[in-house]
Amino acid sequence: MKIELISVIGLLICLLIIGIEYVMHYRLAELQDEHTARIEDIRRRMDVHVEGVLYAPTENSRNTEIKALANEINGDFEVYEMAIATIREHKGTAYHDDVEAQELLIRRIDDEVDPVGIYAKMLDEGDIYHKGYACRRLAELGAMEYRDKIKECVDTKSRDLAYNAAMALCCMGDVYEVSEYLLSIQDDRLYSGRIVNEFFDKFTGSRQELAESLFEKCNKYMKCTIIKTLERYRIEAFRPMYIEGASGNDIQMKIACVKALSAFGYPEDEQILQMAAKDKDWVIRSAAIRGLSRLKSPTALASVKHALSDKEWWVRQTAAQAITRMDISPRDLEEILGGYDRFAADAVKTVLYRTVDTEG
Amino acid sequence: MGFLNGVRSFIVVFNYFCMAFTLLLSVIYIIQLFVSFVRVHRDFSKSFSDDFHSYVDSDNLLPISLIIPAYNEQENIVQNIRSLMKINYPMYEIIVVNDGSTDKTGELVINAFHMHKIETSIRCQIPTQKIEAVYYSKEYPNLLYVQKANGGKSDALNAGINISRYPLFTCLDADSRVEKDALLRLSMEFIKDSRTVVAGGIVRIANGSKIVDGELKGFTMPKKLIERFQIVEYYRSFLMGRVFWSASNSLLIVSGAFGLFRKQTVIDVGGYKRNTIGEDMEIVVRIHRYMRKNHKKYRVKFNELSVCWTQGPMSVNDIRSQRRRWQIGLMDTLITHRGMTLNPRYGFVGLLSVPYNWIFELFGALIEAIGYILIPFTLIMGELNLFFFVIYFLLSVALGVILSQGSLVLEQYTHRAAMTAKQSIAISVYAILENFGYRQLITLFRVEGILKYRKLHKTWGKIKRKEFEQ
Repeated sequence: MKIELISVIGLLICLLIIGIEYVMHYRLAELQDEHTARIEDIRRRMDVHVEGVLYAPTENSRNTEIKALANEINGDFEVYEMAIATIREHKGTAYHDDVEAQELLIRRIDDEVDPVGIYAKMLDEGDIYHKGYACRRLAELGAMEYRDKIKECVDTKSRDLAYNAAMALCCMGDVYEVSEYLLSIQDDRLYSGRIVNEFFDKFTGSRQELAESLFEKCNKYMKCTIIKTLERYRIEAFRPMYIEGASGNDIQMKIACVKALSAFGYPEDEQILQMAAKDKDWVIRSAAIRGLSRLKSPTALASVKHALSDKEWWVRQTAAQAITRMDISPRDLEEILGGYDRFAADAVKTVLYRTVDTEG
Repeated sequence: MGFLNGVRSFIVVFNYFCMAFTLLLSVIYIIQLFVSFVRVHRDFSKSFSDDFHSYVDSDNLLPISLIIPAYNEQENIVQNIRSLMKINYPMYEIIVVNDGSTDKTGELVINAFHMHKIETSIRCQIPTQKIEAVYYSKEYPNLLYVQKANGGKSDALNAGINISRYPLFTCLDADSRVEKDALLRLSMEFIKDSRTVVAGGIVRIANGSKIVDGELKGFTMPKKLIERFQIVEYYRSFLMGRVFWSASNSLLIVSGAFGLFRKQTVIDVGGYKRNTIGEDMEIVVRIHRYMRKNHKKYRVKFNELSVCWTQGPMSVNDIRSQRRRWQIGLMDTLITHRGMTLNPRYGFVGLLSVPYNWIFELFGALIEAIGYILIPFTLIMGELNLFFFVIYFLLSVALGVILSQGSLVLEQYTHRAAMTAKQSIAISVYAILENFGYRQLITLFRVEGILKYRKLHKTWGKIKRKEFEQ
């Protein structure tokens, strides 16, 4: 009898749970319907207001329309973002082609709506995810007066919030805070690599200053990561450091420095790149070949041609791609394609067939 | 007489075993549901501040090779390639591998995209059947068409891996549709955690849904009951099971229709296994095995916000063939990797995930089926109290409904369904109805898969599917 009683109680509990689930499901479904209807309604009205703003015949009527739009937004960030997105995407007016005029118009709307106030409220009252979002939006709006509040968020325990806040400071060009944040995560190799890349990409201040401030205190891994990231910014001041690293014995540093040096394409670096093209590490060889292809000198061409028969597939492929960017004569090309070196011929064929129309 | 008493006692004991087994399974499922609720809630909240669109022009974003193995896919192939060309991802290539189709698959692709034959060197890192030709088009530079001798889906995938250029690849079914942002969301798993080697997205039943250029535009309730049941079933399977196993880094299966892999890892483990019909599960289990054996840090992730749509089977015969195949694939994988079972060397995967699959996913169907036969028999014999039987039956149905309904709540919470409130509630009726007939039918198909394992484990069934609504 005991087991039967337990089963009945179990069944009743299950029925209660099912009931709760049904109520939750129904409520969520209703909320979704309401949300969809609300968004559709807002969008419809928004379109009318946005068109009013964009097509207003006089400045006075435009001001009236902007006020009406601000009333419609009424402090709701979702509606504000929807309105701005609609203005940016709207085609057919002069604002679509004239970015400057578009930004001016958006600034006029911002004056009425006060988006900084909306996001500042979110920063004060929201959960960690809303706070993180608010930090980034405030930075985009250039709300420097909230810098201290954003700095406080960098020190929180939540990694998401700290990241978003630091990214906001990055957009504000804050060298000290950003470098402190990056130094705080430098030992987490699974995380710091991509963060360095993202932060240097979005940084609005002097990248050289940020890098210098990091080089003073960071570990070797972070230094290599920063050098690799800086490759595309070609900062002249760091060239001597790259030359030193490319001639050194530390493999990781050598890879980073050869890559960074290759990006410059300076003839005076050819000797270092030629040496690197003979390195026993294939990653260094591949980076050097890419750099040599930018020089286009006969000696560089000879090294790239030699790399076509490298024992490592990746180097051969890099050399084949590089050679199509260099001044190679048709005779040389024919020689490679019809030569005894199958590796070289295959590598060049693969690249050529994809870059030259071979139909017919 | 003594023998009959023995049989009778055995049946009674077995009945109690079946009941205990079902209850235990339900408890495990409820734990899974609870964990999934927590995870989905966290991920969904997190997605608010995750600005994944800003990664479109980021150097951190890894380029992807989309491999489409195609065997007699003339109905869907061109349409699918066109839809893939509209996905929101900055750098990707589409590789269509025609695995010796006997219909017009190749001809259609070549003509539709103005392709021409090229000579190319292929880095053969995984052995495959002979590659007969490679086609390329100047108009669509990110599309490559490979013509090869028939060798099965795994072989086609391996050929695609060999010819691919990018560090990540995904294999897509020719009859599936990927949502516009799905790849971007999925690749975030690789950016945010560099240990990630596999990431799977959620596969949803497209029957009844209107998908235009990878975007869900509306939903009408599918006409057939079997399609409606599958909608509930897929929500349960993906939102509950996979979220849970991924949380403990012991997810054993990433759907063959939509998964993103780190190419080098797949090459390191030797590529997809040929002559198996459960290649999607087998590769993931092999990756677990290889990584744990070599003490490498890795993650197998599941992202419930990356969506791929697929047409579910529309007839009993097709669903029978599909479920039989899934069960055979599961059995084949578990037998191949039986050494991992309860082996502490493989951590949580060996100690929990693999045994769970043996006991509940593989033999569970068998025990459930025997229970369906024996319990009524015992009732007739008078060995079981009718009241208890009824209560037990209602209890097991109620537990099933809790799980399905819970998954529907999860689905509604993530706001992914394009259903209206009415449709959502209507679908939830099928969470109850599926327990009366559909569930039993599926169990029988699974048992059939186990019984016919030896005969069918190397054959690849083909399911008739409807074209996507345009």
